[in-house]
Amino acid sequence: MSTILKLENINYGYIDGGYRREILKNLSYEFEEGTFYTILGPSGSGKTTLLSIMAGLDKQESGTVYYDGEDIAKMGLTKYRRNKVGVVFQSYNLISYLTGLENVLLAMTETDNKLPPNHKELAYAVLRMVGIVESKADRMISRLSGGEQQRIAIARAIAGNEDLIFADEPTGNLDSETEQEIIRLFQMLADRFGKTIIVVTHSNEVSRFSDRRILLKNGVLNDIR
Amino acid sequence: MNAFQRAWRYITRKPTKTVLLIITFFLIGNLVILGLGISQAAENAKVLTRQQMRAVVSYETDYNAYWQYIDTLTDEDEINEAYEHSPRINKDSALKLTTDSRVKAFNYMTNTVAYSVEFENVPLGNEENKGEMYASAEGGEEFVYVEPNLMLYANMFPNMIELAEGTFTVTDGRFYTQDEIDTAAKVAVITKELAEQNGFRVGDTFRITTVDSYTLKQLKDSGMEYNEDDMNLELEIVGIYETKNDVDPNAQNFQWMSPYESPKNIILIPMTAYTEYQSEVASIQYSMYAMQNPDFEVDMDEITAQFDVPSRVVYLLNDPLEVEDFVKDHSEDLDEYTILNANNETFKKLSRPLDTMSFFANIVVWIVVVNAVVIISLVTALTLKTREYEIGVLLSLGVTKLKVILQLFIELILIALLGFTLAVGSGSLLAGRVGDAVLDYQTAADAEYETTDEGYYWYDSTDYFTEVTQDDMLSKYEVSVSPALILEIYILGTAVVLIAIAIPSIMIMRLNPKQILLEQN
Ligand SMILES: Nc1ncnc2c1ncn2[C@@H]1O[C@H](COP(=O)(O)OP(=O)(O)O)[C@@H](O)[C@H]1O
Ligand SMILES: [Mg+2]
Repeated sequence: MSTILKLENINYGYIDGGYRREILKNLSYEFEEGTFYTILGPSGSGKTTLLSIMAGLDKQESGTVYYDGEDIAKMGLTKYRRNKVGVVFQSYNLISYLTGLENVLLAMTETDNKLPPNHKELAYAVLRMVGIVESKADRMISRLSGGEQQRIAIARAIAGNEDLIFADEPTGNLDSETEQEIIRLFQMLADRFGKTIIVVTHSNEVSRFSDRRILLKNGVLNDIR
Repeated sequence: MNAFQRAWRYITRKPTKTVLLIITFFLIGNLVILGLGISQAAENAKVLTRQQMRAVVSYETDYNAYWQYIDTLTDEDEINEAYEHSPRINKDSALKLTTDSRVKAFNYMTNTVAYSVEFENVPLGNEENKGEMYASAEGGEEFVYVEPNLMLYANMFPNMIELAEGTFTVTDGRFYTQDEIDTAAKVAVITKELAEQNGFRVGDTFRITTVDSYTLKQLKDSGMEYNEDDMNLELEIVGIYETKNDVDPNAQNFQWMSPYESPKNIILIPMTAYTEYQSEVASIQYSMYAMQNPDFEVDMDEITAQFDVPSRVVYLLNDPLEVEDFVKDHSEDLDEYTILNANNETFKKLSRPLDTMSFFANIVVWIVVVNAVVIISLVTALTLKTREYEIGVLLSLGVTKLKVILQLFIELILIALLGFTLAVGSGSLLAGRVGDAVLDYQTAADAEYETTDEGYYWYDSTDYFTEVTQDDMLSKYEVSVSPALILEIYILGTAVVLIAIAIPSIMIMRLNPKQILLEQN
């Protein structure tokens, strides 16, 4: 299996009350294609920070992030986000004045990746795959349950044919039954579609089903075996 | 789901906020239309009044200013000197102005009353009211007073204003030419009525004199030898014209009018012919004085020069709206104590209530626009706070910040368009009502300052200024929402939205998408 995302000597810190706090210290790691990762770690260890750097939502102070061997800073973070990355948030963050379908279509219009011409048909198919039927897809977001919203968020993250899916505590607001369904969804995306899934979680339940578990502690990543 | 589609969905699916904003824009729009409508109506009324006024500029001596200057003098000799050299219109300046391309026609003209010699003037119709009139000469001796019955218009140029404006139309023969002016040819163009009265035709000759009966009597009594025919000017009729002017039999002073006051008794001749004839007549008169008083000295050149001074120099321009610029462009070049008068004082005085109203209307517009910018900025900035997650998501999907701002702009502009469109309807109704009310109040207030000086108006027959009244101008004041005004309002609305979106745009540019991840933990 080949490396899709490579972190090289990533440093990140901030100044708080006159003191400098290092969150990420010379962090290096390689993520493989088609694998479902979970990142664990104590609260405040910098998991969200690391995720935003990997997803191109923030910039590291030093070090390099390579996507398929290409420095994402050189590629341009907006372009990287648009074409390579899908993000799933803890509180779903669907756009409230759009329907589920329209949220998915939005991702499809933005990407430069090659997609079949009939976006709507594809969007319904993707939604069906994550377990959302057409009648629900056409509803306004506010009339859907949390689990349904998160499924749509996952559909939106993959609809533009992005390879990397990041999720920060995606099941934090869901009951355990729904959590199970979301985990299975991630598994399927990695196994059947070759997506690389990187999920930040403190739920053992989630991490148990992932292919690889990594611990973020003292600013570095270590595999848990 | 491009920016426009998202904007459209946002405003249609968040109706409460949209309706509130539409109401805001609607109210702003009404006030702006009100202000702009009122000031535009005032501007229109002024332009229409200007257009109604003839596009005439008169080149005059500024006696007011000169008298003020004399008042400052203390030395007796200086004062006498000043009176003797009172300002005169400069012929070269007057001629130079005619080369301006805005000039359509011009009169460089002397008007004098005259007497017919062995022919009849056109009767006025008030003759039976007037009995024979007597005047008393020096020494108390009474003699029959003969009224002047003709009016001479002696112009230096063939393209008279009256011809250009169509007040006079040559119906038979032709007008005198520049050549005839240059050679002081004794030719005349007379009215159809005067021709009919006497059976005159083109090619006939007739005689007139400018010497009154008293002077003639004096000459006869003096015993001086002179050729009586030299006192007359013999003119050949080259053309016959029709005039649109006539006396008003209902006029207050009609009963006392002299025949020369009838426009039908106006005779048009070259100014050069007039000057030559007048100088001859004057020289005879001065010879008589010289005979009677051996000390009397005459300078004939000065006498001739005296008749070469026009009584009126007036330019007719192509367009009434060019008048002000014309005056501005040429005023600098004129001699001291000569001015170009465009009847501006009257116009300015009449414009005053409208100007005051425009002034306040414009202030209202500015206040409203500034407030609009502040209100819309604040509302947008506040709602932006609640939309941070949404914007973060858009950014995480790779939407550029500029496109996020574009969406915000489209949302606002669509709402503004709707609000303003509704306001165009109600605003025009409102503007009409409020405009009339303000105008009534304004004219009532202004009437207190209204001076009764008639000095601005010229009632003589050679007045080229159109008489306009306050009512004329105010009757043209009408608030209507023109397409130009509507366009202006939409442009202004767009500008308000653009400025109002500046602060929210800065907020968006500074937004870090990571923030939405952090805040959720
Ligand atoms: N740019 C920054 N400025 C200030 N504080 C920051 C910044 N980035 C991260 N932090 C802080 O660092 C801590 C760790 O961040 P985070 O990545 O959210 O850890 P975790 O997700 O593991 O809980 C948090 O308390 C967060 O507020
Ligand atoms: Mg976190």
